[in-house]
Amino acid sequence: MSRIITRLEATRSLIASLNGEPVVASLGHPAYDLFAALDRPENFYTWGSMGLASSIGLGLAVARPDLRVFVLDGEGSLLMNLGSLATIGWTKAQNLVLVVWDNEEYGTTGGQPSATAHGADLAAAARSMGIEMTSIARDDLELKAAIARVRAAHGPAVIVAKVRESAPTAKPPLDCVFIKQRFMDAIGNREASTRGVVK
Amino acid sequence: MTTSSTSVHTPAWAAGVCAGLSAVGIQHVVYVPDNPLSHVLRELDARYTDIKAILATREEEAFGIAAGLYLGGARPAVLLQSSGLGNSLNALASLLLPYQIPVLMIISMRGDATEWNAAQVPMGRTVPIVLDALGIRYLVSSSETKASVESLGATAFGTRTPAACLLPRMLTTTTPAAATEGS
Repeated sequence: MSRIITRLEATRSLIASLNGEPVVASLGHPAYDLFAALDRPENFYTWGSMGLASSIGLGLAVARPDLRVFVLDGEGSLLMNLGSLATIGWTKAQNLVLVVWDNEEYGTTGGQPSATAHGADLAAAARSMGIEMTSIARDDLELKAAIARVRAAHGPAVIVAKVRESAPTAKPPLDCVFIKQRFMDAIGNREASTRGVVK
Repeated sequence: MTTSSTSVHTPAWAAGVCAGLSAVGIQHVVYVPDNPLSHVLRELDARYTDIKAILATREEEAFGIAAGLYLGGARPAVLLQSSGLGNSLNALASLLLPYQIPVLMIISMRGDATEWNAAQVPMGRTVPIVLDALGIRYLVSSSETKASVESLGATAFGTRTPAACLLPRMLTTTTPAAATEGS
């Protein structure tokens, strides 16, 4: 019997399956829930630039083919940057996993229904843009199975996870430069400006 | 160095831009196409095979990809037409600037001197004002494009900020036909 889980439960499920992989989180509730589930240096929390989480993840995946890059997007955010699916589709970054938390509403802004509430199908959109590995997860078991599948194969992959909205219980650090430097340090790209120079 | 397989001559300004990008250590250019920039893209493809070009669907998306490339340890540039700056403001203001993510911007101008399309003029006129308002350093490069790109690259990656090289139409559209027909 399928049960739609909350975004926080889904985030916990995903984080439990990770092993040091970088995660890029879309602003607002996806980022808040990632922090609540597990704050780790490999989390890149965005505080703005709605729509661009999948693009940031793509750039990171291209620059670091040795890492499997996870993106936690919202369906409202992805709908703002659907062209990103086309770019991911043709660049075929094998190490990119785009997870879309689809609660069918703009949860961060008061629960206005999104296009997916009216039938828009983001997994079908991803397939039509050339992303072959797509799935829709409607409960925790399906989400875990989808994550296991993408781990065992080459991407790019898109997992649309149907979730229920839940009130966030925490917020990530507000200092954007701190988030960036901690993240870059954790994945082995320490910014030169943080090193100092010995003459 | 290889010789371009096409018969199209690369203008000096475009060769200078490419040489500047290479001197800065740019590894990826993310772009939305533009007629003058096609010279840069062709020259990169022919002579700078260590610089990878990534096509984006929209300029805002290009800045997102560039930000990710930087997080991954690369030095990115974004190539765009000035009209695309209007599509990019929120990416610049709420991602690149607050996170101090450096990206070298090469902006092919519309709406400046020799413009024939009235629809291009308001955004083109706004470009320097918007960059000033955001506190983004820029140079209008009217001749020495290699030096301009190099100095802006030093600013961008040395001080961790976006910086923009503006290429005016007087530089990039040299023939009467090009100056009066769709660029």
